[in-house]
Amino acid sequence: MSNPAKQERLAALRASIANIERRPVLSEPVSVQDHEPDRFIVPAPGLVQEVFADERRNSAALLGFALGQVRSLLTPTRRAVIYLQMLAEAQEMGLPYGPGLASFGFDPDALVLIRPANIIELLWAVEEALACGAVAAVIADIAGHPKVLDFTASRRLSLRADAGGTSLFLLRYGAWREASAAQLRWHLTPALSATTQFDARAPGETRWRARLERGVIGDRQNQEWLLEWTQNGFQIVADRRRHPAGSVERQALSGALFADLADRLSEAG
Amino acid sequence: MAAVDRLAGAQKLFIGQNLADARAMVPDLTAREIDLPLLEAAFGTFADWHSNASPLVAVMSDMNVYGDLVLDITGVSHLFGSELGMLRTLVLRLRQLGYAADGAVASTIGAAWAASHFAPNRVVPAEQTGGLLDGLSVAALRLAPMQVAGLIQMGLKQIGQLRGRDRKGLQARFGASLIMRLDQAFGYAEERIAPRLPVAERYAERKFPDPIGLMDDVLMTTQDLAIQLGIRLESEGLGAQAFHLFLYRVDHKVMTLSVNAGSPTRDPDHIARLFANRAERLQGEYDAGFGIDMIRLAASSVAPLEPSQLGAFSRGDDTDLGHLYDRMSSRLGTLSVVRSAFVDTHIPERAVRLEPVIARSADNPAAAPDPEQARPLRLLPMPEPIGITAEVPDGPPMAMIWRRVSYRFVKAQGPERLNAEWWRSGQRLVLVPPLTQQELNELKQQGKEPPYTPNVPLFYTWNAVRDYYIAEDAGGRRFWLFRLGIYGVAPNPTWYLHGFFS
Repeated sequence: MSNPAKQERLAALRASIANIERRPVLSEPVSVQDHEPDRFIVPAPGLVQEVFADERRNSAALLGFALGQVRSLLTPTRRAVIYLQMLAEAQEMGLPYGPGLASFGFDPDALVLIRPANIIELLWAVEEALACGAVAAVIADIAGHPKVLDFTASRRLSLRADAGGTSLFLLRYGAWREASAAQLRWHLTPALSATTQFDARAPGETRWRARLERGVIGDRQNQEWLLEWTQNGFQIVADRRRHPAGSVERQALSGALFADLADRLSEAG
Repeated sequence: MAAVDRLAGAQKLFIGQNLADARAMVPDLTAREIDLPLLEAAFGTFADWHSNASPLVAVMSDMNVYGDLVLDITGVSHLFGSELGMLRTLVLRLRQLGYAADGAVASTIGAAWAASHFAPNRVVPAEQTGGLLDGLSVAALRLAPMQVAGLIQMGLKQIGQLRGRDRKGLQARFGASLIMRLDQAFGYAEERIAPRLPVAERYAERKFPDPIGLMDDVLMTTQDLAIQLGIRLESEGLGAQAFHLFLYRVDHKVMTLSVNAGSPTRDPDHIARLFANRAERLQGEYDAGFGIDMIRLAASSVAPLEPSQLGAFSRGDDTDLGHLYDRMSSRLGTLSVVRSAFVDTHIPERAVRLEPVIARSADNPAAAPDPEQARPLRLLPMPEPIGITAEVPDGPPMAMIWRRVSYRFVKAQGPERLNAEWWRSGQRLVLVPPLTQQELNELKQQGKEPPYTPNVPLFYTWNAVRDYYIAEDAGGRRFWLFRLGIYGVAPNPTWYLHGFFS
């Protein structure tokens, strides 16, 4: 068999395998805004992203990160965002709060809350919402590691998302990572906010430390960003922290730095 | 006594008799106490079941303790061949189930009642109504026992004797109700029945020669009926928001499934899908018994729906979204698919009301949230009590213990003071207002127990003032905390965690 013919057959075989697998094409999932290098990514529609936090008490950070990305996906034809959380978990992690969404910069009218009673109904609702052409994104808040949400289920959801062009964010908790078909997986931790200009003791803008655990953005893999939320979206902040394992570093040099509120406790004895 | 069987009737016992009298006449009498709720429920299911014969069915309970079934058979008797055929079918059907049943067909409710009780199982044509009633006892007029006794005492035993008498005299002696009943029986006064099931003018139904049982068959039939109903609605230019599926079981029971749509629709596929979702929520509740012999799909809450033209390239997202919410509501329940509606109040947890998406109310522009106010992204439905370390009286929180984990705060901002509603100060905040002393005395005179009123302390605003703080711990988590009450004024101020910032 001559070489070109072999190449041709190989290509045909590859095509047929791809056809059998029906893999969604993931050539360019995300675009980095080139003209503004300090701005964060803009995800393409129809992407499945998993966002992991170590603990459930960081749930608000996950929601903020997802909503920040969803905001850029809203268009006049796709103007609804579906948020799903199981009914029993509302007191555990809190419900998205309308005025809070407004102060975050997200239109509370666009968010519809779905509160299914169990994980099966939740996955059904996710699938149903992904197929709808008027939904910009689906945010599913899933605490724990349900057995139903296995690779088959997430593969099914990713195919749905790709076909419908609706994005899916799975907010997950814990250190365990299941096999999943998500294109991007983030590990998110809240970060200490920047100092504000006028009140050094007041919390500043929200900051997250986001590590891309899976997937490729541009040519970057497994990279960590320190992000700050501004009115215009995510802003990449230069991360001065060298060792990710350490706690908040304090410089030995004197400077315009106030003592922590809790430091007074030790002084008092 | 409310009812006597044939054996007791032969012993000259009668309805309305004292039980002691009856025991004296028949010492070995078996008496059972009447179970009114059970009877009412049984009559209810009977009435619902009879809606497969005619859509207008009511239970008339003003005369007997066990009620009378009233069917409006206008325009439906031809389905059974004739009026007599319909009467025979319905009465025989009940008798086959082991009930003693009698009936009559007449042109007025009063005449039908009189005929069914005193000259049962016949069809009284409109022109013979007067003739039949004239020969019946005055008891057939649905009168109170006192009135009947009075009339018989006066020698007026038959209805015919009342005709042509001075109406004013009769009214003065026996009350206005006699005249009313008389007019109702002869059709001079209008009488209406209150149907038990919602009357749907638009419906499609299908009867089965052999009963069906499987849910899949029911859903397939629903699809067919939805197409029929959709064509009917389309020809009238209407759409409906509520759809009801009535499943008539062979054993005199009716199952009802209802679905609602957020906006008027007549799309058969959509309706059928809503019912399929709703049926999935039934799980084990679905029980076809011995089978279903008729299915009716009815539409209510109809509204004009203009045929809309889709743009050549548009995706029609409005209907898409509406249909999505309908489908989710039908499967998960209406209360599980909600949106935030804003309420004009400054109390954070009351500022948002979760309302069903498909029952959307108008927005209140005055209640729209202020984006400048710092509010958390997630709010706990119930604020959770926390242990806090803070300077007394009004220092910012420094450390917290929440869910048995301690947090040390690095930054804090506040307080944002939210006062309680001063217009409620000095009141007891109970849902049912307590009774006044006069009402209590009245109850005491009647010998009744006063209703239970919880001893709620008076509400004072200084106990319920909240000072909200935003506190950030060393890990960057930011919490929304508040102190309920002010030191020095409230007896014991306590701290709560209310929400989380992103």
